Amino acid sequence: MALLEVNDLKTHFRTDDGIVKAVDGVSFSVEKGQTLGIVGESGSGKSVTCLTIMGLNPKANTISSGEALWKGKDLIRMSSRQLRNIRGDDIAMIFQDPMTSLNPVKSIGAQLIEAVMLHRDVSKKQARARAVELLKAVGIPRAERRIDDYPHQFSGGMRQRVMIAMALINDPDLLIADEPTTALDVTTQAQIINLMIKLQQDFGSAIIIITHDLGVIAEAADDVVVMYAAQVVERAPVTNLFNRPHHPYTWGLLGSLPRLDADVERLTQIQGQPPSLLNPPRGCRFHPRCPYVMEICKTEQPALAPISTDPDHLQRCHLDEETKDREAAKLLQGMVAA
Amino acid sequence: MATTETAPQTTATNGSGDELLVVENLVKHFPVTRGIIFQKEVASVKAVDGVSFTVRKGETLGVVGESGCGKSTMARCVMRLLEATDGRIIFDGRDITHLQRAEMRPIRRELMMIFQDPYASLNPRKRVGFIIAEALEVHKLGTDAEIKKRVQELLEVVGLNPEHYNRFPHEFSGGQRQRIGVARALAVNPKLIVCDEPVSALDVSVQAQILNLLKDLQDEFGLTYIFIAHDLNVVRHISDRVMVMYLGHAVELAGRDSLYTAPKHPYTGALLSAVPIPNPEQGRARKQIVLEGDVPSPLNPPAACWFHPRCPRFRDGHCNVETPPLYRFEDDHVAACHYPLERWPLTDEEIRRPSGPPMSPPPAESA
Repeated sequence: MALLEVNDLKTHFRTDDGIVKAVDGVSFSVEKGQTLGIVGESGSGKSVTCLTIMGLNPKANTISSGEALWKGKDLIRMSSRQLRNIRGDDIAMIFQDPMTSLNPVKSIGAQLIEAVMLHRDVSKKQARARAVELLKAVGIPRAERRIDDYPHQFSGGMRQRVMIAMALINDPDLLIADEPTTALDVTTQAQIINLMIKLQQDFGSAIIIITHDLGVIAEAADDVVVMYAAQVVERAPVTNLFNRPHHPYTWGLLGSLPRLDADVERLTQIQGQPPSLLNPPRGCRFHPRCPYVMEICKTEQPALAPISTDPDHLQRCHLDEETKDREAAKLLQGMVAA
Repeated sequence: MATTETAPQTTATNGSGDELLVVENLVKHFPVTRGIIFQKEVASVKAVDGVSFTVRKGETLGVVGESGCGKSTMARCVMRLLEATDGRIIFDGRDITHLQRAEMRPIRRELMMIFQDPYASLNPRKRVGFIIAEALEVHKLGTDAEIKKRVQELLEVVGLNPEHYNRFPHEFSGGQRQRIGVARALAVNPKLIVCDEPVSALDVSVQAQILNLLKDLQDEFGLTYIFIAHDLNVVRHISDRVMVMYLGHAVELAGRDSLYTAPKHPYTGALLSAVPIPNPEQGRARKQIVLEGDVPSPLNPPAACWFHPRCPRFRDGHCNVETPPLYRFEDDHVAACHYPLERWPLTDEEIRRPSGPPMSPPPAESA
């Protein structure tokens, strides 16, 4: 049984303008010790998917359906008390912005100790020892002294390390990292990604990493989910996805990326803008921007189905496989040719 | 002044006469004061500390570096939005470092800027037409009808619908707003456009649209760019030459291909090795130079070589004693390191152990 299994998850927000379908039928699963990467642009629903799993959406205007089975129990239907026991203990989350997700008026020690004592029946002294241990594990020098410092006394990269320490302090089975390196510089980003990979090996947690950076995905993920307009458009093991991308949107993402290992005069760009989720296009949601659009794409939504050669590789597109093979090969060749 | 030690003569000027912008030994210190009535300067933040470079007509100079390395401060000094503490800025053959406001005005037409945040850099209460037309009106470039025609033309050039002349910024998406920023910079036919992280706030697909647009406009109008970014992939894509900054200093300056295939400075090497590659096999196989610690504070930068506390090639008694000048290598490649990288890529062992003797002064001033 998978550690987390998400089936047909839907999150709709009621707003003054109508119902925003922020997540519209998303399914995936995460195995123990594995890393799932969710990639997509702003507004594709990747963060909302995780907030829904964690039960962190505002109650007043959210309608959620589908299921998110955590070790067989549905998180969507749990009471807030049950969820509170799971959050920060079994499932922990790291947020994008380390500047705003730590409490500025409490020392980091107080915040770490609070996280332990909420879930474990231990003395304050034991909790503090645990906090120091974790700060050392994430590579904060002089952890015994720095534990009493306040968030503003740390740099951005160090704060993100504190966030990771806090998330790992109760040995979670699943760590959800929402854009953990987006706010960081490239050398710090490398440090944090390496740290997460190392800690995963040491602690054996599963990780969901949300990002818009395909480079980070290639480096850290085992499986990849590509989201577009609140839906999954492609899902595959990481090497399969990069060796043989199957969806025109994934091609667009790969082609629009300037990269060190390839020389292109002009980046392939995806025309137009992502659609409004108030009123997504009929048929395939990508069809207004797709260069391969056919008549059927405008009326009928393709199902998320496996490709013929690889049952683990799912994609949502009407295009025939022969054309896709040809186009994907062209795209990849363009990158190698450089 | 501390900067004289950094050998200001070793600029990358090659004197070929086609320089649009020459920056010599630019210094910008922000004072830290104490006291309310009797303000006493107790320290200074050395944001930019002796940077020299040139920008040739029609080229793109990329500037990379981590947050706080002084790249934006440098740009603002060049734009004369900040007063330089020391140094000279020569634009199109004229020293503009100390020009008065009124003298500066005609030059501002030729020197425009595109900002990072397309949400914050457009006035939300003004219509797009007004935002773009403002520079034309300030410089009195035409009658109302001519200006309106020009604005519509500009909207078309940057790929927006000219009929959206009367809309407000909030009616546009992030990418479209950045296009408005580009149109505004283009309005007065500038010679140099300083782009300060123009695509950092955008999604990759939109980023590609803006990068393509900037390239097309350069081909069409012969523009010159200073392109500041922290993303090394983006900088490589758009630049002809690249300058790497660290802690207020230019540590390396070279042609794009030379810099990316044969970096000399260990910091450049570390930056390049840290870039994630969107290819699982290559990405996981590559060797990273992981730098220890964080960038030191510019309030109290390290002595001698600014990079020495984090450098894998650090040699005690040399790197922390003698400030490296910009040594010159082949093809106008300059780097401020006593023990430059011999080749690229290097193994862990080779990174730590420079094979040759240190670079010898004098740093080829004659070149």
